[in-house]
Amino acid sequence: MADDDYNEMDMGYEDEPPEPEIEEGAEEELENNNEDAPDDVVGAEGEEKDQEKTQRLRKTSKYMTKYERARILGTRALQISMNAPVMVELEGETDPLEIAMKELRARKIPFTIRRYLPDGSYEDWGVDELIVEDGGLLEASSWRGLNG
Amino acid sequence: MARPEERLRCTKEPFIEDVGTRRIKSIRFSMFSGNEVRQSAEAQVWNSRIYDQDMRPVPNGLLDTRMGAANKLGECTTCHGSFAECPGHFGYLKLVLPVFNVGFFNCILDVLKCICKSCSRVLLMEKDRREFLKKMRNPKADPLQKSAIMKKVRDKCKLSRCPWCDFINGVVKKGKAGLIILHDCSKTLDGSTEAIRSALSHKKEKISISAVRMLDAATVLSLFRRMIDEDCELLNLGDRPEKLIVTEIAVPPVPIRPSVFVAGGRMSNEDSITVILKSIANTNSILKETLQTGGQFTKCYDCWQLLQLQVVEYINSDSPSLSDSQHRGLVQRLKGKTGRFRGNLSGKRTEYTGRTVISPDPNLRITEVAIPILMARVLTYPERVSYYNIEKLRQCIRNGPHKHPGANFIIQPDGTKLHLKYCDRRIAARDLKYGCVVERHLEDGDIVLFNRQPSLHRMSIMSHRARIMPWRTLRFNESVCNPYNADFDGDEMNLHVPQTEEARTEALMLMGVQNNLCTPKNGEILVASTQDFLTSSFLVTRKDNFYDRSSFTLLCSYLGDAMENIDLPTPALIKPIELWTGKQLFSVLVRPNASTKVFLNFTVKEKIYTSREAMCPSDGFVYFRNSELLSGQVGKTTLGNGNKDGMFSVLVRDYNSHAAASCMNRLAKFSARFIGNHGFSIGVDDVQPGEHLNQQKKKKIDEGYKECHDLIASYSKGALTLQPGCNAAQTLELKITGVLNQIRATAGNVCMDTLHWRNSPLIMSQCGSKGSPINISQMVACVGQQSVGGRRAPNGFIDRTLPHFPINSKTPAAKGFVANSFYTGLTATEFFFHTMGGREGLVDTAVKTAETGYMSRRLMKGLEDLSVFYDQTVRNASGGIVQFLYGDDGMDPAKMEGKDGKPLNLDQLFMKVMATCPQRGHDTLSPGEILQILNVKLSEHDASSDDSCSEKFKQLLTKFLEERIKLLKNTRRSLHLDEDHVGKKDSSIEECIAANISGISAKQLQVFLDTCLSRYHSKKIEAGASIGAIGAQSIGEPGTQMTLKTFHFAGVASMNVTLGVPRIKEIINASKKISTPIITAELLSGKDVLSARIVKGSMEKAVLGEVAESIKIVLKSSQPNLVVKLDMQRIEALHMGISADSVQLSILNHPKIKLKSEHVRVIDKAKLRIYPAGIDKCKLQYELHNLKSMLPKVIVKGIPTVERAVINKIGDGYNLLVEGTNLLAVMGTPGVDAMKTKSNHIMEVNRTLGIEAARRSIIDEIQYTMKSHGMNIDLRHMMLLADLMTYKGEILGITRYGIAKMKSSVLMLASFEKTAEHLFNASYSGREDQIEGVSECIIMGIPMQLGTGILKVRQRLEHLPEFKYQPDPILS
Repeated sequence: MADDDYNEMDMGYEDEPPEPEIEEGAEEELENNNEDAPDDVVGAEGEEKDQEKTQRLRKTSKYMTKYERARILGTRALQISMNAPVMVELEGETDPLEIAMKELRARKIPFTIRRYLPDGSYEDWGVDELIVEDGGLLEASSWRGLNG
Repeated sequence: MARPEERLRCTKEPFIEDVGTRRIKSIRFSMFSGNEVRQSAEAQVWNSRIYDQDMRPVPNGLLDTRMGAANKLGECTTCHGSFAECPGHFGYLKLVLPVFNVGFFNCILDVLKCICKSCSRVLLMEKDRREFLKKMRNPKADPLQKSAIMKKVRDKCKLSRCPWCDFINGVVKKGKAGLIILHDCSKTLDGSTEAIRSALSHKKEKISISAVRMLDAATVLSLFRRMIDEDCELLNLGDRPEKLIVTEIAVPPVPIRPSVFVAGGRMSNEDSITVILKSIANTNSILKETLQTGGQFTKCYDCWQLLQLQVVEYINSDSPSLSDSQHRGLVQRLKGKTGRFRGNLSGKRTEYTGRTVISPDPNLRITEVAIPILMARVLTYPERVSYYNIEKLRQCIRNGPHKHPGANFIIQPDGTKLHLKYCDRRIAARDLKYGCVVERHLEDGDIVLFNRQPSLHRMSIMSHRARIMPWRTLRFNESVCNPYNADFDGDEMNLHVPQTEEARTEALMLMGVQNNLCTPKNGEILVASTQDFLTSSFLVTRKDNFYDRSSFTLLCSYLGDAMENIDLPTPALIKPIELWTGKQLFSVLVRPNASTKVFLNFTVKEKIYTSREAMCPSDGFVYFRNSELLSGQVGKTTLGNGNKDGMFSVLVRDYNSHAAASCMNRLAKFSARFIGNHGFSIGVDDVQPGEHLNQQKKKKIDEGYKECHDLIASYSKGALTLQPGCNAAQTLELKITGVLNQIRATAGNVCMDTLHWRNSPLIMSQCGSKGSPINISQMVACVGQQSVGGRRAPNGFIDRTLPHFPINSKTPAAKGFVANSFYTGLTATEFFFHTMGGREGLVDTAVKTAETGYMSRRLMKGLEDLSVFYDQTVRNASGGIVQFLYGDDGMDPAKMEGKDGKPLNLDQLFMKVMATCPQRGHDTLSPGEILQILNVKLSEHDASSDDSCSEKFKQLLTKFLEERIKLLKNTRRSLHLDEDHVGKKDSSIEECIAANISGISAKQLQVFLDTCLSRYHSKKIEAGASIGAIGAQSIGEPGTQMTLKTFHFAGVASMNVTLGVPRIKEIINASKKISTPIITAELLSGKDVLSARIVKGSMEKAVLGEVAESIKIVLKSSQPNLVVKLDMQRIEALHMGISADSVQLSILNHPKIKLKSEHVRVIDKAKLRIYPAGIDKCKLQYELHNLKSMLPKVIVKGIPTVERAVINKIGDGYNLLVEGTNLLAVMGTPGVDAMKTKSNHIMEVNRTLGIEAARRSIIDEIQYTMKSHGMNIDLRHMMLLADLMTYKGEILGITRYGIAKMKSSVLMLASFEKTAEHLFNASYSGREDQIEGVSECIIMGIPMQLGTGILKVRQRLEHLPEFKYQPDPILS
């Protein structure tokens, strides 16, 4: 049964049944509801005004720090290495880290960053909301290319 | 079959961060009572025998199998685990009589001091008691304050009569030997005891009653048991006090004290703890027997004392109450560098590690490291099988553990581990499933960490990409030698393989070589070309180097491995044949083809630069314009490390690290291949001096020797004119040293001038690859003066250096001047002096490594947990604010481009904008327009973005543009154009010229300002940065490079200031007494020498003996007295302003001379008469002489603590350097500008001016010390250190005392110093350690809250693709 599932991956990532994610998500949603912090980006779809409001409330930098980048890529690479569905079209990449970088460049990583402020409150930033400075990303992609 | 499949599905689970309840949140320290010990034990130990005849553990012995297995053969009878599985179980040993716990002995003493020895209540009046209790119960009081209150309570408990039971209490003190507590009532005796004593004295027998009683452990225990809880709270006890006394010993599990069989299993070797416990058990049983049989009291008592000492040894075998112990107690196991805390908890041994010799390989890229195949077959990475890699991993499995791209293990999803050596690999490969983990060999492109000790800064461990190569060494590009401080003379380096996907990613993103090209110390580039790379670049860019098509293309082909397209530039010469210059090759190197969009623009002055910029006659002005090398022979300044304006730095800043890295790769490949063909070598003929040089040298040395002889002659005649503040011998030394240094310098200059330009050492010194002019002239011309301790060679024999010279000889040769060169060879005495100098260097390095290592460790412990939070504040782990904004501007020191920590190098940036964005016929702006655009831009920027730039940066930008405007105006003025109004560019030739020289078009200005602002924002420090650790490294690492004891002249001769490591130590220790306190006093009228002299005169202490002409005893019949006559001439000449009245006052104020105003009479302006105070005639003579000897020492003028003051000339003004302390008095001296007066004594600045001034002074002093050693460290690191030292409101040194006041964590303090003391104190007061800081998190194995741990990642849901589980409709 499991084998079949994996073989279907040839067709593309969309066919991957997302059971674990859904289970995980259910928990998450519960948590989200319990907390009344401005992390309701999840719920505020299409309501631009609301989104602006939450954005204005957030005080931290709109740039992604290198620590956030490293953490996200690491977490995502781990997911990918464990056969998580990939959110971008692949062009022969096989290294999970490279795939994660490609996803980040396409801003397709399905993560939210929870930035904790010293008083214990936090701000949630979607990975796609943050500005990523292209520093280390370029290097990794060129690594194999130059090596032949 | 269903089960494994279900397990298999687990591999698809997304990453779930473990935020569950199992994280250790805090640790509470407390004490075990005897009951608790018994409850947690599995076995009682009472038998002192360990093994029986058959070498089986005796039941109820120390190795009882219920406490775990003693060695690999044994088995635990409690949990039936083997030696490897069972962690062991505790046992207990009941003591017949209680004993003190050495760790708590001082605490016990303190508690006893505070309580009544009869009713166990606190010896305080009810009012005081309530007050202290209130303070103690204050919820805001932190543990440190509480222990301070406890100390106060202890000092207050001095009541001799208990207010509750009227018992007479004496003083409690420690007995002389051993652990004995004495209760001494001798001073508090009242009448009743006296009565008893007198009554006893009538008796026949000699019975003496002693007021001193001993408080033994049993008594103390019963006293403690009776204490009420409220009193415990008052004494800061976290728990019941009876737990301070040992009644039951917890016998540690057997596995932590393994027993080893020796001599074929007939004997065993026991651990120290077992041995001590054995003797305790033995003594205990003897004591029990004696007590039960009712033995003699003294025998019992001795036995008890023995038991006490054995328990002491068990806990702390280093305790002073023990004479000497061969055993290691519990405390010894925890303590020290190899103890549990530092050796096993803070740092652990790891697997997946390799170490071998390193060697260079310029063909590797700077991010790579070559790993021997041998090593790659052992080091593995557990790769999870997924759709993408299954085929590759199958191949690996088929190859097995012995063929390189192979694998060693397969871990099945159910956790079974399969070794590929012992199974059919083909079957294993065939059966490989998704979700399995294959421990495959290291392969090309894997991420590894590479490290060389000593790891002084974060660049000592960086992540590289692996490259599997044959042979047996680890190889890497020489450009990366610098950060590791590695050379290839046999150095070994370590390699670690991160084992998870997250670890690899973080290693690559944060520790990658590419991301660490610049040092956070000051933003200079660290990974850069060295040695041969510099030499070959220097050779190839020489002015007269021309290459024809074939040789130029050959050189171009050296740049890479035929992996890049190279566009050949237009040849520099076309006729008669096409010729390219070496400089053009460099242009190709920077920008190999047109598709590489790298436009490098910068100018740099090389070492050989003389004058006239690009037209420098020695071609030392390197000018890159749009990636073309226009002029200059490149050398270390352009390509090397430790520079901010060099080529690689500019590439990193203007483009990215990848651009710089690939240039370095190209240069490394090129130079290795080029220099291999070109050839570069050094031989004896390179250091052969020419005839001219020999003559010159001889002449110079003869001249110099003559001069020295003249000096010596005039010295012995006493005709030497003294230098300020020196005596004759010092002056002579100074002068001779000057002359001799002059000889060496001139010989060196002549030598450098006469060397041929092809001379290899000369080339190396010019391009900066190796060696300095001094090294060359030592080889060719003259070695020069040898010094020991900053002076000429000292006298090892009586009044001479060596017996080869006459006594008291001060000639150059006799004091270590080496006139020969290394080429001509040294004479025997010269050689000896040379070894003296050499040895000093060796000793210095040996001593300073230990010293600076400890300093770095302390700095690290002090600063480790400081990090930037998301609100840009700098806080420690418990949230205490240290800085509101890091470094006052929130910039990252590693990214600073300009000098002195300025964020941008505007000159270079402007140049780049002008070159890359030419005017192209656009009109240039007038000065007014430029400023207008700037202001509009700045205000626009402030309004639009939420985080605006600092005022300082705006000023910098405005100032720079004003400078440009001035230039523009100058140009226009010299071209006779209107300064303020710029006409059309094509209106006149002059306009056109002016525009080309210094015009700025609107577009250019726009681009410039945009780049400035956006780049400024990218240089902000990022939240999570562990700047504390970076700061500690940035200050600690340069310390290792400082020569240990260097003194330096602060402007004036003979004014020494401690510098180097000792000074840094003084500053960060916050020493109360520093070796050279100096106050720099600015003068109100700083231009006037006379006023400076007056101020100096009023500061320097003058005693009466110095200003008095005579002090005479006058014996007259009326009243004998002393007459003091002042030397008014001298007083006038030195502007001292002393009169007889002021002298009278100072005599009266002298603390030792007890005279009253009627005894000291002023006769006239210069005369005083002093009458002795006593009227006693027989003592009169004595009194007079006593006065006469005291009077000359009376300070009549100046500040007593000031040693001396020196007038220092700066520019056209003067200031005073005051040697000594008492800043307040110096500031208050008339004529001193108090606002500008500084002191280098930080504690004194704190006392006089307050904490903010002290902070500033810490920053300035560290900076000054570092600067004077030629070390450039970003100011922000110093600010952080100073803020940490002052943020508590008092100055805390980075010492064990200071750190204990800064940090609240017990574990952190225990892992620093005084491990046992901190642990005992913590359990006494029941401290709780919130696991927040870096040390605690490492000890507990918890991710810490900085860096990547500062945030949490949550899975987002709405972006999940919508999955369709039914097939697409055929028709839609």
